[in-house]
Amino acid sequence: MTKAALLRYIGRSNLWKATPIIALSIAAVLLAAGIAIALMAARSYESQKSREVGVQAEILSSTVSAALTFGDQKAAQEYVGALAANPEILSAAIYDSAGAQFATYSRSPDFQPPTRMPPRGTVAENNRLSVVTPVMQERSRIGAVFLQVVTEPEQRRLARAGIIALLITMVAIVVGVLGIAHSTLTRANAELEQKSLALAEANRSLMKQIDEREKAEAALRQAQKMEAIGQLTGGVAHDFNNLLQIILASVGTLRRRALRWNLSPDVTADFNALVDGAVEGANRAAALTRQLLAFARRQPLEPTKIDVNRLVAGMSELLRRTLGEAVAVETVLAGGLWSIFADANQLESALINLAVNARDAMPGGGELTIETANAYLDEAYVRSLPDVPAGQFVLIAVTDTGSGMTEAVLASAFEPFFTTKDIGHGTGLGLSQVYGFVKQSGGHIKIYSELGAGTTVKLYLPRLISPDVKEDGDPIDLPPPQALRSELILVVEDEEAVRSFTVEMLRELGYAILEAADGHAALRLIDSNPAIQLLFTDVGLPGGVNGRQLADEALIRRPELKVLFTSGYTRNAIVHGGRLDAGVALISKPFTYAALAEKIRQVLNAS
Amino acid sequence: MALCARWILGVTAVLLAWASANAVRAEESGMLELAVKATFLYKFQPFVIWPASAFPAPAAPFVLCVVGKHPFGLLLDKVVEGARAGDRAVTIRRLATVSPDDHCQILYVGTDDPVVAKQLEAPVNGAPVLTVTDEIKEQTAKGIINFVIADNRVRFEIDNAAAMSRGLVISSKLLSLAVSEAAGP
Repeated sequence: MTKAALLRYIGRSNLWKATPIIALSIAAVLLAAGIAIALMAARSYESQKSREVGVQAEILSSTVSAALTFGDQKAAQEYVGALAANPEILSAAIYDSAGAQFATYSRSPDFQPPTRMPPRGTVAENNRLSVVTPVMQERSRIGAVFLQVVTEPEQRRLARAGIIALLITMVAIVVGVLGIAHSTLTRANAELEQKSLALAEANRSLMKQIDEREKAEAALRQAQKMEAIGQLTGGVAHDFNNLLQIILASVGTLRRRALRWNLSPDVTADFNALVDGAVEGANRAAALTRQLLAFARRQPLEPTKIDVNRLVAGMSELLRRTLGEAVAVETVLAGGLWSIFADANQLESALINLAVNARDAMPGGGELTIETANAYLDEAYVRSLPDVPAGQFVLIAVTDTGSGMTEAVLASAFEPFFTTKDIGHGTGLGLSQVYGFVKQSGGHIKIYSELGAGTTVKLYLPRLISPDVKEDGDPIDLPPPQALRSELILVVEDEEAVRSFTVEMLRELGYAILEAADGHAALRLIDSNPAIQLLFTDVGLPGGVNGRQLADEALIRRPELKVLFTSGYTRNAIVHGGRLDAGVALISKPFTYAALAEKIRQVLNAS
Repeated sequence: MALCARWILGVTAVLLAWASANAVRAEESGMLELAVKATFLYKFQPFVIWPASAFPAPAAPFVLCVVGKHPFGLLLDKVVEGARAGDRAVTIRRLATVSPDDHCQILYVGTDDPVVAKQLEAPVNGAPVLTVTDEIKEQTAKGIINFVIADNRVRFEIDNAAAMSRGLVISSKLLSLAVSEAAGP
């Protein structure tokens, strides 16, 4: 039994509660007994006294019998006068047979014996005891003796009253001490109980804190793991991107040159098939690296204002084709949905990735539901999420009726290359892309899954508050735009292979080109060539001046200069929080000939 | 019998009270003095213990003898009429002379002449008899008890030594009332 439990037990037991009553009863009984004993002592003293006086009266009566018999008043007076030796005797008298006084004695004038003989017997009143005894001679009554004494001396009465007062005082003290002790104990008991309650409360709160901390630590660990994987993936993907850029550029150049070689139609067909294969492989590799970068959150986003309902509605046909006939697609689109500010292509990719996962979780067919809604993540909810602010979000929930995930699978679901699919059926990058995109967009992602029932993936993307961003127009396929007046472009790229292929492509498009390998060289060229209209620079440059710094410096000297950035990823300079700076144009590697042509023209035409 | 005794006691008490209250008149009136003495004579009895040899038989009456002059007349008879001394009846004998055979317990010697008193008492001298003399001045002629007049009242002297020599025990209560205790021979 713990101390607290013991205290509670004592607190509850009836014995404890009855203690003061029992103690008071005992005190009352003791007091009553004490008073009774005192009274009995007084009574017994009185009766003893009465016997004593009776004996004294008997002695006197027998002594005075002769004096009475012979009428010797003088002798009788001597006898009663001798009683003065006893201070207790107040008065005495001897009466003759006729009842008249024969001899008298009184201690003071206040105590006069009765003038006529009183009736025989003992009378006690006013602390006085009167005894009348007959004087007998030969069986005949010849008179009577009267004696009056103080029943109890004043000292004795005071002593008795003192004892009773002492008794009452002691009982009062006992009762008082008991009362104080009891109230003190009761108070201490209550305090202890309160303390134990407070302790229990503190313990509960501590447990809760520990629990929350464990959750936060787990979330932090997960975030750190994702970050580390992201760093690794991003680094590899960046280098890989540069290599793909070289391959794609080389193959493109090869194809264009082949046109001039006047090959026979057979050779041309063969050549084209081989080149197409190389381009397709390189494009697939580029798509993979894009997804890796997306996960690593180092993918340059081009966020625009998006009406999610419109985007989802526009995707339904694509989704139906992707999922096949066995899966029914339903969209539940909330009215009055807020806009978001995100990269529309990435969002589409994310939804397709989720749809593909859902399809794979429902091999026998099923239902896919895409819901949209306005949502609010409050402080309490985001407390355990390291990098999600509270606020308004647009919720996109993708729900399937598939097999669901185990907890272990759920824990690793976002990790790149983690897949439950057979080898060759999945890259393990689908959810990673979704995760990276959502995180990079400042959103939140949450998976709810139940084995055998299905899975819901919820994407929370932050609501767009400032509406001054143009909506994405419908893309129109156009032939790559050419240079108009052979505009002079300065290409700055530290990696020589990439630079030469870029220069090659731009020259093919009809532009005049100057090239530089670092920032300092580029600035010198800008100073000496006022005709340069466009600065096309890689973000990451060696030599202490990066692409952003170069552009800033160049714009100070040539405010009208147009700038287009390129990067495998944009780490610091260009991308702030994953978004392009307003007015800054960027084309991400690897880029195609057509994309480059379009982007260059767009930047040059911008006013 | 008991009623009668009570009546006598009542009369005695009245007489006594009367005698005490009117001591002066008692002297004036010889009758009253005699009545007091007669009462006293009888009343000595409870304060004295006689040896068993003083009675001829266990059931013998208590005998109060008067020798010499008979001053009381019928007063004495009235005092003792129906009275008892313990379990014994009380009788009065008036004698010219006394002899041990009379078995007197109390003997009143009726004379004021010491010589006569000695003579009258002589036959029972040494016997367990309470001798009472009346106002004898001569020390040697006094009985064990001798009536005197003090402060105009009838009192008595007691010769306890004489009483003891006769085998009589006189109660200290009675002794304490004596005017003076005569010294023994």
